[in-house]
Amino acid sequence: MQENSLNPEKWVDRYADYLFNYTIVRVNDREVANDIVSETFLAGLNSMKNFKGEASERTWLISILKRKIIDYYRKNNSAKGQAEVKMHFPNSDDEGEWLEEKVADLSDMTAEDQMENRELGLAILECLDQLNEKQATIFKMKTIEGIDTETICNEFDITPSNLWVIIHRARTSLAKCLEKNWF
Amino acid sequence: MKGLNLMKLSCAEAASVCTKAEYKEAGLFEKWRLRLHLHFCRTCKDYYQNNKKLSSLIKKANITPCSSHEKEVFKAKIKNGNSKTS
Repeated sequence: MQENSLNPEKWVDRYADYLFNYTIVRVNDREVANDIVSETFLAGLNSMKNFKGEASERTWLISILKRKIIDYYRKNNSAKGQAEVKMHFPNSDDEGEWLEEKVADLSDMTAEDQMENRELGLAILECLDQLNEKQATIFKMKTIEGIDTETICNEFDITPSNLWVIIHRARTSLAKCLEKNWF
Repeated sequence: MKGLNLMKLSCAEAASVCTKAEYKEAGLFEKWRLRLHLHFCRTCKDYYQNNKKLSSLIKKANITPCSSHEKEVFKAKIKNGNSKTS
């Protein structure tokens, strides 16, 4: 396979999950994320001739995506004429006026935890992208989408023991890939 | 002797049962044989624990997959865009 070339037919299978998750943690809205990702693919198609092959296809698409996300926020803010600042003012009708009742619940996830989990999700997807495509797809179907064994076996025309071998290999590579930062 | 062989599990088999167990698809007898194997085999025990950790990491990450429908929409858009540009 030639390195650093573009294959738009493969983009969705290879990168959609990563790009989508990258976007959704930043815009927090499924529909908007969908729009941004498809805009990214289209922008990629339109500027294929500008691809110099210095970066990988993946990096290139991510850089387009980043610009699209910035564009989205710019457009959003300029429409209102100013940046939106959300503040939560306590309503005196609500329960819990005592200060003690307003103290953050420690069992709640902190923003930092949430951020770490998002990073983790992206790291997992990035590692999965390094596996071969069939392995990654089957692993994602089984583990993330939770599709049952029989359905996957039928779709790929493999036996259950084949499936377990594939999943086992995928998990081993994934663990190795995550080892440095997350284990 | 035959009964003993039935109880034994090679490391490769143990790994496979380990994986299945993470998806709650290992049988009762398999799980029992795995427990037995883990008693004697340090390597598999480490693997088993790592595997558990991986599962919890994946769960924690809470990845939002694109649905296959959404992917089809992307593909159709790319196809349309491609025919326009070429």
